Amino acid sequence: MVKKIKKTVKKKTVTVKKKEAPVAKKAETASRKKNVLITGVTGTVGSRLAEALYYDKNVGVIMGVALGAKPYYFNQFDTKRFRYKNLNILKQRDLTNLFLASDFKEAKINTVVHLAFLNRVVSASKEKKTFNTLNVEGTRDLLEKCIESGSVTKFIFKSSDVVYKIRPHNPIYLDENADLNFDTDVDPWIKDRVDADMICQSKLDNRKTNIVILRFSNIIGRMVSSQMNAFFDSPLNFRALGFNPLINLIHMEDVIQAIHLAIRKNVKGIFNIAGADTAPISTFAEINRSRMVSLPEPLLRPSNALLRMMGLTRYYYSVDQDRLKYSLLLDTGKAQKTLGFRPRSHVYFERGVA
Amino acid sequence: MNQRARQRARAIVKMLIPEDYERIQSIKINDLGFGYDPFGLEIESAMMAYAVAKFIYTHWFRVESHGVENVPIKGPVLVTPNHSGVLPFDGAMIMVDVTKKMETPRIMRAVVDNFAGFLPFVNTLFYRWGQIIGARRNFEELLRQGEMVLVFPEGHKGTGKPYGERYKLTRFNVGFMELSLLNKTPIVPTAVIGAEEQYPYMLDLKPLARMLNFPYLPVTPMMLLVGPLGILPLPTKYTIYYGEPLHFYRDYPPETVKDPETIYGLVDTVKTRVQELIDQGLRERKGVFGFSLSSLDALLGGAGETAPPDERRQIQEKAGT
Repeated sequence: MVKKIKKTVKKKTVTVKKKEAPVAKKAETASRKKNVLITGVTGTVGSRLAEALYYDKNVGVIMGVALGAKPYYFNQFDTKRFRYKNLNILKQRDLTNLFLASDFKEAKINTVVHLAFLNRVVSASKEKKTFNTLNVEGTRDLLEKCIESGSVTKFIFKSSDVVYKIRPHNPIYLDENADLNFDTDVDPWIKDRVDADMICQSKLDNRKTNIVILRFSNIIGRMVSSQMNAFFDSPLNFRALGFNPLINLIHMEDVIQAIHLAIRKNVKGIFNIAGADTAPISTFAEINRSRMVSLPEPLLRPSNALLRMMGLTRYYYSVDQDRLKYSLLLDTGKAQKTLGFRPRSHVYFERGVA
Repeated sequence: MNQRARQRARAIVKMLIPEDYERIQSIKINDLGFGYDPFGLEIESAMMAYAVAKFIYTHWFRVESHGVENVPIKGPVLVTPNHSGVLPFDGAMIMVDVTKKMETPRIMRAVVDNFAGFLPFVNTLFYRWGQIIGARRNFEELLRQGEMVLVFPEGHKGTGKPYGERYKLTRFNVGFMELSLLNKTPIVPTAVIGAEEQYPYMLDLKPLARMLNFPYLPVTPMMLLVGPLGILPLPTKYTIYYGEPLHFYRDYPPETVKDPETIYGLVDTVKTRVQELIDQGLRERKGVFGFSLSSLDALLGGAGETAPPDERRQIQEKAGT
């Protein structure tokens, strides 16, 4: 008899739950929908991310921000879900107008993905002050505006593993607490990366806006302006004689996956993101069938400068002078555990397959 | 190495050491997909290094060993020998010995000094052969992966000690004990006899060493006599003694690492055990070169120096043994 009563009670509870579920779910889904602003949306990562988010049912409106007219490849998207804005986040007025604009408020933007960051090649063509302004001050201004707005609950910053101090006696896997590179004599672009990363870190405790910093290993992909992409694109590469460090390459798909997960999951903090392929630099060069010459370290900088002058490479040795000697692998344990990130794609080289 | 080079390396190893080829070929590594483990170990490079070291092991140092059955065949383990001889041939000989004699061959990962990381070629070769630069995190990762780790608790103080200090252990670092307790890892105290006489060195060129980022730069009498050939170690006879494993973690929980006094006490126990094995080795050996050659032995300090030095006595008193 007792057993029967228990069963009835259980059934009743289940029935009640079933009735309430659809209503609650709808309301929950509506409130959970992510409306995302992407800066630097015309870049390779930005455009791929916009596309991935567009086909995600959990994402509402996507607002893309970049300099210049709307590129043709965004025309395929429904303007109700994807909105493009041509503006310069460096200009305080543009930035203020963006946050005050009716379509920004209508879109109920609650997530900002900050990808706008001049790469080393573009930086070199501009004055040091100009790219520092965009990379560092631009990041700071945008972050402050997001926090001030009150409606932005998440700010995601795409950082890089160049922020870490590379030393021969580093642990083989660097976790998120590893020392950053505060050396005064490093390439200005690395300084920018570290400064921007630090600006975001300083706001990690903010209660209204969850800050997420994603530190990626070397991104490889078509049209990506990463250092390693430029390295393997060059017809001739130089590496430090007597050194052959392990490097990790991450496929563009995994970059998008990591940002996507950071948008969807209720997380904050710093996460290392690495790809599925790790090997010595010479192994990747061999798979890519690129010519690689080992030179004594003092000759690397002038040789690289010569190649750049001749238009044979877009790679900057000054950024990677330690990376060409010592291994730098990221400990992705935190990203695996908290974000649920697992690299899924392997890197393909045009000339060979990795 | 590319695939062709790897095949060539395997063929060379098979030709050089056919008796060991199958054994070392069966060793598995944590391959990340390109033939390297996360620390940069490449099995073919390690096989080549083994073949070369085996030649030195057999023909130069004529290594003998006792108690290899004390080294656990699986799971994490720390092997802690005395360190000496300017160049770390002692580590290489222990590695060859365990690979050759253990029932199931294992790759021994040695923790090397930070300065090795700065050196071109040395850096790459050490990683390919399975050696690890001494960051604590690397150490932990290896033990977590269940590897056999060779650690010299004396550090470079051991290899750089003057000839007159031979077979006197210098201060032991405590990091290995903390990691042993934290990772529940047995410690195998080990003694190497013979290495301490291989480079009888006279003076240390400290300023030059500092310039080159080396911990020391010794000058040996052989360097003065035969020039660059003096870099070759004397063909002393090596004898390795493996003691019974010490399972401190069974009696001391991981929280013990917060108690420096206990940690120092446990380290002293290991040090005393290593010293006992050294004393046993010195008593049992027939001569520095493995045979009695009284005049040469006398020149190098004799074969049977068994009287425990003052420092050893102090340690034994402290450890209550």
